[in-house]
Amino acid sequence: MSFTDILLAFAGILGMFIALSVGVLSLTWLERKTLARIQQRAGPSVVGPHGLLQPVADAIKLTTKEDIIPAYADKLLFWMAPVFVAIPAFMIWLAIPFGDGIAVRVLDLGLLYLVAISGIGVVGLLMGGWASSSRYSMLGGLRAAAQLVSYEIPIVIVILSIAALVQSLSLDAVISGNTITVGDSIRDLPGQGTIPFAFIMPMGLVIFVIAGLAELGRTPFDIHHAESEVVGGPFVEYSGAHWAVFFLAEYLNTFVISALIVVLFFGGWSWPSPPESLFGNDLSNTTTNVLGGVWFMLKTYFVATLIFWVRATYPRLRIDQLMSFAWKALIPLSFGNLVLVAVVLFYDWPLWVMPAVSVPVLIFVATFVQRTRGARGRPQTVRILRRSAGEIGLPVPDLANRTPAGVINQVSGEGQAGD
Amino acid sequence: MLNGLKGLGVTLRGALRSKVTAEYPKEHLPVDKRFMGFPALTWDAARVEPYCTGCMVCVRYCPTQCMTAVMQDNPKFEEGVSHRKKIIESFEINLGRCILCAICVDVCNFDAIEMSHEHERSERLRDANRVDLPTLLDMGQQYQDEVGWKQSKPNAASPDERAAAKAVAEAAKAAEEAEAESEPPNAVEETPDQSEDKEGEDAA
Repeated sequence: MSFTDILLAFAGILGMFIALSVGVLSLTWLERKTLARIQQRAGPSVVGPHGLLQPVADAIKLTTKEDIIPAYADKLLFWMAPVFVAIPAFMIWLAIPFGDGIAVRVLDLGLLYLVAISGIGVVGLLMGGWASSSRYSMLGGLRAAAQLVSYEIPIVIVILSIAALVQSLSLDAVISGNTITVGDSIRDLPGQGTIPFAFIMPMGLVIFVIAGLAELGRTPFDIHHAESEVVGGPFVEYSGAHWAVFFLAEYLNTFVISALIVVLFFGGWSWPSPPESLFGNDLSNTTTNVLGGVWFMLKTYFVATLIFWVRATYPRLRIDQLMSFAWKALIPLSFGNLVLVAVVLFYDWPLWVMPAVSVPVLIFVATFVQRTRGARGRPQTVRILRRSAGEIGLPVPDLANRTPAGVINQVSGEGQAGD
Repeated sequence: MLNGLKGLGVTLRGALRSKVTAEYPKEHLPVDKRFMGFPALTWDAARVEPYCTGCMVCVRYCPTQCMTAVMQDNPKFEEGVSHRKKIIESFEINLGRCILCAICVDVCNFDAIEMSHEHERSERLRDANRVDLPTLLDMGQQYQDEVGWKQSKPNAASPDERAAAKAVAEAAKAAEEAEAESEPPNAVEETPDQSEDKEGEDAA
């Protein structure tokens, strides 16, 4: 490795860092504007034109705020936790391609790298939760660990099925396709230039979007910093610049998941490619590369807006709904998806078999989940809790007859007067 | 779960509606005609003087004691221009203390005080909202212009006007009674009511 290589690598990392910081600032603005639009408000509008400089004002405010470390906190861990969350969020971007062979570092094992790096964030959240020496933080950290580890699995399996589809772990292959030799025959595996994987593998897309949202801890799945339950989870005791770093990491992750959805399922920079008559079909052409990068970023921002839209729509899930959804619905589905890809590839069936099979399966599962997990279905956890509470003599309301706890106990003769 | 997708439709429809918030210092929404802002003194344009005689009713009834009034002899009464023997000399309301309860408006016998549309009196100093008579009259005149204000209580007119009004009312009553003779049951009920009204007017 020559000196120029090292210099280029540093320049790439620095450029990426700056670009991502600006990206995160724009994303906070975009989120606030989107939410405001949906709630028929104006959103930030005072600082700068259309409030565009509001994120800058926020950043200045956060960094100049007093950074409090609780007296009983484990100071080293407390200080390190935000870094552990933020650094992986930055590092993921090193492998993401912005054009044909254009990334900070083109990795042959890009998909593996993504999976490996995105797992580190959990450690940071757990660390922050533990180091804060606060019960809420601790609970939030544990929730984060449970949730993120559970939802990591469907994400990994979906990424694995994409890797199986292109027979490569390289992100370039995911976008441009791959050529492999099986025995004597040479097979061209599909890239996303003509048909993005969203149409080949709709089940994978749905699983990835849901699990990705959960991985971000954004609103329908934000039980680890649920304000009404654990008042902010691992972030309770954080303030000032440390909190800002957590915040940065959260938005970076949103950005990452949007970019991954675009790269893995919507063809990254390549789909839909401009017609040949416009720029020619030479993908190494500078114009096409720049346009591809812009196109990729546009798509990423669009997906991010969809994520904000979801945030504006749905209320937070309960923790038992969240976990049972991951383990009972998403993980089996993702394995089913992987098996489907494997079977289709092994028997060399046409690719339309995959959407033809997975769309009915998705619809069936969605209606099934609605039946069992609807508003009236009582989760098993609650039933178990009620039974055990009854055994140790705690007042338990009778849900069937809709009477409060005190009345029940007086009738059955056990326990104290309710109030 | 498929039902859940309807929620996205709801929020999307919300996003397509126009925004309902106005950014206050830049945009001012029009206040309702019956909006009750701070109290203000009304202006009798016919006699070019305030309606207020400084009778102190509002001052006595004010629950926060935010008002002060000083009465004086009305020079215009001696000139014969006005029917008011007394007129207000100075009036002060501490709007920072006012709770906008409108009791002063209810107790005023002359329609001299009204809840105006004024509501944007943010000042830095604690005493800056003690407003004097000219300011109150300005606020009142603006309010009168905005809503097309008319005096509602006839008892505040001059004795001559009152006598004329009484004569008209009595003539009307007589006509009504004459009419009512053809329909006796209604006439019996109506007559005492009207006489009571008249008494009330005179007493006030």
